[in-house]
Amino acid sequence: MIAVFAVAPVVVITLLVGLRGVAAMRTTSDFLVASRRVSPLLNSAAVSGEYLSAASFLGVAGLVVKDGMGALWYPVGFTAGYVAMLVLVAAPMRRSGAVTVPDFAEARLASTPLRKLAAVTVLVVAGLYLVPQFRTAGLVLSVVSDSPYWVGVVIAAVVVSVTLALGGMRAATYVQAFQFCFKLLLFIVPAIWLLLQVGPQVRHEAVHPVPFTHFSHDTAVDFDLEVTLLLDEPLTVRTGDGRSLTIPAGEYRVADGSTLVFPAGAAVPGVRGGAAPGGPDWSRPLLDVNDADHPLLGTWAVLVATMFGTMGLPHVLMRLHTSPDGRAARRTAAITVGLLGVFYLFPGVYGTLAKVLVPQLYLSGATDTAVVALPSQVDTGSTGTVFTALLTAGAFAAFLATSLGLLLVVAGAISHDLVPGGLARLRFTVVAAAAVVVLLALPSVKLDAGVLVTWGFTVAASTFCPLLVLGIWWPRLTAPGAIAGVAAGLLASAGAIAVALFGPPLSGLPALLIAQPAPWSIPLAFVTMVGGSLFGRPPAWSSAAMLRLHLRERPGFDHRRSRPPARDLGHSSWSARRSSAARRVIRRLGR
Amino acid sequence: MSPHRRVAVTSPQTRLAHARRRHRTAWRPPTLDPVDARVAMRVYRAQRILVAQALLALFTFLFGLPLVLRLFPSWDGVRLLGVPMSWLAIVLVPFPAMVLISRWQLRRAERVEDVGELE
Repeated sequence: MIAVFAVAPVVVITLLVGLRGVAAMRTTSDFLVASRRVSPLLNSAAVSGEYLSAASFLGVAGLVVKDGMGALWYPVGFTAGYVAMLVLVAAPMRRSGAVTVPDFAEARLASTPLRKLAAVTVLVVAGLYLVPQFRTAGLVLSVVSDSPYWVGVVIAAVVVSVTLALGGMRAATYVQAFQFCFKLLLFIVPAIWLLLQVGPQVRHEAVHPVPFTHFSHDTAVDFDLEVTLLLDEPLTVRTGDGRSLTIPAGEYRVADGSTLVFPAGAAVPGVRGGAAPGGPDWSRPLLDVNDADHPLLGTWAVLVATMFGTMGLPHVLMRLHTSPDGRAARRTAAITVGLLGVFYLFPGVYGTLAKVLVPQLYLSGATDTAVVALPSQVDTGSTGTVFTALLTAGAFAAFLATSLGLLLVVAGAISHDLVPGGLARLRFTVVAAAAVVVLLALPSVKLDAGVLVTWGFTVAASTFCPLLVLGIWWPRLTAPGAIAGVAAGLLASAGAIAVALFGPPLSGLPALLIAQPAPWSIPLAFVTMVGGSLFGRPPAWSSAAMLRLHLRERPGFDHRRSRPPARDLGHSSWSARRSSAARRVIRRLGR
Repeated sequence: MSPHRRVAVTSPQTRLAHARRRHRTAWRPPTLDPVDARVAMRVYRAQRILVAQALLALFTFLFGLPLVLRLFPSWDGVRLLGVPMSWLAIVLVPFPAMVLISRWQLRRAERVEDVGELE
């Protein structure tokens, strides 16, 4: 019932707002970058709406319960990514006149192989990012409504692909901007309500954490995944159907899909690969990745991965191309820093409250549901239900907005870069790509969404980040060097993922560097790119291609500011600068 | 067909051009007017310095804050309105600081572009 009240309005509003964006559309540019007519404020709201995925809405608070207060460094890194984007990338990238990241690579380095390689990288990053979004949609819907998992996945896919196929980037912009305001409201209001409602006792415990060692009341834990518990002494629990079950001391494997009710006062069993929330390590404000015992290095590694990863995310970069000019793109990034800063003040509130109210979630590993589980712990009546519905609606909006941008970037990579075609093919690719992602998301219920998204960040950080930074700021970059660097970054990050998945269990520093490869894979990609370029000689036009990116676009600008340009020669500085007899004449007339 | 269907009004040539399969035009080397090139070089050099300064500020702050928290664990015990100082330090400090850095960099970068073009 909650599901109907929570999800149905989000779906309907998404479609309605999306329909508002359906306008006469004739070219690929209209479809992919909304004809480049999006103002900085609207664009930054859309960027924030797109960026605040389920990982931000649900994930950060869940990580606080699981890993401790240090998890609050993730949002810091996310936001810092936009500062880096503002400083290094935003304006020059927009001035290239490209439509997608591979397009930019070709505009700067004139290499079709590089464009194809970049398009494949876009597909890898977007795939790693998109599958968890659809998966979470299915999971959230199945938790609140008892519908099967595939229903949520299919609903999300249909809503997203219909909105995109009809309205393209323009519809996506309106939906994402609207959903940012929606999410901000649905995140802040319940947080304040929770803080006021919990009472002084819980508020005191939230800021004076005690280790979670004993169950304070009879606690039911649903195990959706198989979990190995470690018990010091035998423990009698009740199973979901009311029978009592005595677990012997030692290791005990809980089958997936079972429910155990732990009695009040019982000692909390340990979990393989995790410490109970609330201990001294938990409340330290540093992040010890994989319990490698290097909290400072772990924190830095996460900051590097999230910051440079955000800077290289193709769907965010594509949003910058919807700005009318470079200056607007830079302003978009600047406003986004502020908007995200407001949102990210609150995951800590949910995290600390969840540690007090639902610490048992760390046993089943379902800490992602902490935010949605909180209201019913505070108020068992209808108010609690209403707030659960509000938070569920916000979470659903979160992955719809993110999927919109990602699916568009996938369609762009396929139908604009790999096999260039017209508008009809773009629309068809959107639907086809959504179908493929649904097929990928159906068997991945058991994958850890957070891990997949982290990998997406790492791949983006070690491929696009060096390509963009060197492409914009270093005139000596050559196409072979760029190809070598992107390939090295892709192989290094994918190799680390493969080792983490199939390799031997590691501990200490190697475990940290495999779980967070960004601190070495980004420098590796940079060094390969610089080294590969220094071996060759850049073409004669190379510095012109780079300097063009730093020149403020103003067609017909006469360098004395006597008059504003008489006419706007189209929205792409690139086409305006192409040598064309007709354009030259028009430009002269405009002066 | 409903009477209110919106139709893109274009010339027959444009309609034909959009309907055709698009062939990628040959890549042309970018050209810059000598005047533009001088302006661009000036702006680029100035921006490079600003970017280095802004990145230095951002990195010092971002990587310095965990270091400070690591070196001064006693901050965990100090409380402001009941909340440990070190918790406040990772929520209430970084976001305003990053907003200030981006505002500062935005203003400077735009000023450089304006000045570079006027000279």
